[in-house]
Amino acid sequence: MDIFIFEAAGYYIGIEAKYIYRVADNVSIVPVPLMPVCYEGLIYYRGDLFDVIHMGRFMEKEGSMLHDDPYIILLKWNAEKMGLIPDRIVGIKWVEDSGGTGAVFNKRGDTVKLMTPDGIWKKLAELSHGS
Amino acid sequence: MSRTSIRNKLILSFLVLLLLLMMVIAVINRLTDDYYTAQAISVALALAAGAVFGGYFSRSIVRRLNSLSAVAREVSRGDLSKDIPLLSQDEIRDLEEVFASMVKDLREMILDIKNVAAKMEETNRTLSSLSGKVLASSEEIDESAMAIANGSEKQTLIVQKTSLIINNCLDQMDAAGRQSAQTVLKINDALVKTGTGETKARQTLGYLDNVLSQIAENAKPVYRLSNKVEKIRMVMDVMNEVAQKTELLSLNASIEATRAGEMGKGFALVANEIRSMAENSKQSSREIRRIVDDIFQDNNAVIQALRKSEEDVEKGRGIIGGMVETFKEMVSGVKEISSEVKTVERVTLKQVKEIRGLLSHFEALSRLAQQNFVSTQKTTVGTRNQKEGMQKIVALMQSLNTLSERMMASQRRFRLRGD
Repeated sequence: MDIFIFEAAGYYIGIEAKYIYRVADNVSIVPVPLMPVCYEGLIYYRGDLFDVIHMGRFMEKEGSMLHDDPYIILLKWNAEKMGLIPDRIVGIKWVEDSGGTGAVFNKRGDTVKLMTPDGIWKKLAELSHGS
Repeated sequence: MSRTSIRNKLILSFLVLLLLLMMVIAVINRLTDDYYTAQAISVALALAAGAVFGGYFSRSIVRRLNSLSAVAREVSRGDLSKDIPLLSQDEIRDLEEVFASMVKDLREMILDIKNVAAKMEETNRTLSSLSGKVLASSEEIDESAMAIANGSEKQTLIVQKTSLIINNCLDQMDAAGRQSAQTVLKINDALVKTGTGETKARQTLGYLDNVLSQIAENAKPVYRLSNKVEKIRMVMDVMNEVAQKTELLSLNASIEATRAGEMGKGFALVANEIRSMAENSKQSSREIRRIVDDIFQDNNAVIQALRKSEEDVEKGRGIIGGMVETFKEMVSGVKEISSEVKTVERVTLKQVKEIRGLLSHFEALSRLAQQNFVSTQKTTVGTRNQKEGMQKIVALMQSLNTLSERMMASQRRFRLRGD
């Protein structure tokens, strides 16, 4: 299974590569009021609107200050669209399916937390709204 | 009535008595025949006549003597008012006259004594008053002399102290004069050194100008380096951007290749390689950027240091310029001080000269004060002696007064006519 791996708040997070639409940069984000803290806003990319989520904050931790890659990972699935802001992009790796839990992906033994876009969306809906 | 002596009286009286007896005896002899009877009667008559005559005569003398004795007794009691009766015409009359003359002389003498005593008393009183005043005056003179002596002693001490102070003052003024002379020498040295300092400061100013121009010259390559580093940074930014774009492109290529499935495997490998190269390129560009940033920072630090040096040198130049001005002012100030110190030296020497004259006057004054002190001491001794003499005079006056009183008392014992 091809997994798109990125780093956020010290976690390695993996999303199945089929959900990844594109990686974009230098896109202006329009803030949306009364949304959770991790919700950055909306972007318009090539005719589509994407909800952008800061993954560091989403992981209920302060986002790391790395931001080496000011990229936004754009996801599309079932006509849903979402953008994720990682701290760092690792790349696409082939890992064995371990049933949705963690999977080792490098020699150091770091595990990847596999997530699905629906899972992210559902968890986002459970978060309290901001001011 | 002429004088008759007692002897003549006695002889005459005896003759008369003898005549009378003879006449009586003759009568008796005629009348009597008895001789013895006649003799006896005659003797008896003679004895009787002798007794009567003797008694009468002796009584006459005793009576006058008693009278004289009574008067003499009165005189002895001090009563000179009684007159001496001049009753006799014989030798007792002489006695009475002599006694009367004596009483008269005594009366005159007592009167004289009384007058003299009264005058003496009055004189004594006057003298007592005068001596009291003289004594009081002597005491005042003594006190004044003592006060003058004390004043003279204090004056002598003050004059001596003042002389000492003036002497010390003179020593200090001499020292001040010497110090002024030394100060003038030192000021001259300071003038020379200040001039040298001004010259050195001017030279330093010239050196600083050279240093400033040198720094400006040396700073030019650094500024050029800074510009070049800035250009390198810009190039590095471009390279970094290219690497980022390449990485992004490779990421998206990988995503597309994954989406292509088995057909995209080869492309995915290529995309991964490109991404890897882009990563390396990005890493390298980051490294270069860091190095360039370090160079840039170091260069900035050098520029800052150069600017600081320039500012410091400029400040130093300003300070040394100020120092030159200060040295100029110091030279003029030191010249003024030199002339003022010379004036002070002249004035001090003049003052020393005048104070020396003053000191000689003070020494003369001190001698005069000492003489004055000695004179007042002598005056004090004289007034004390005078006081003692006056006290003796007063004592003598008192004894004289006592004598006068005693004389008056003695004189009062005599009673004169009219008392």
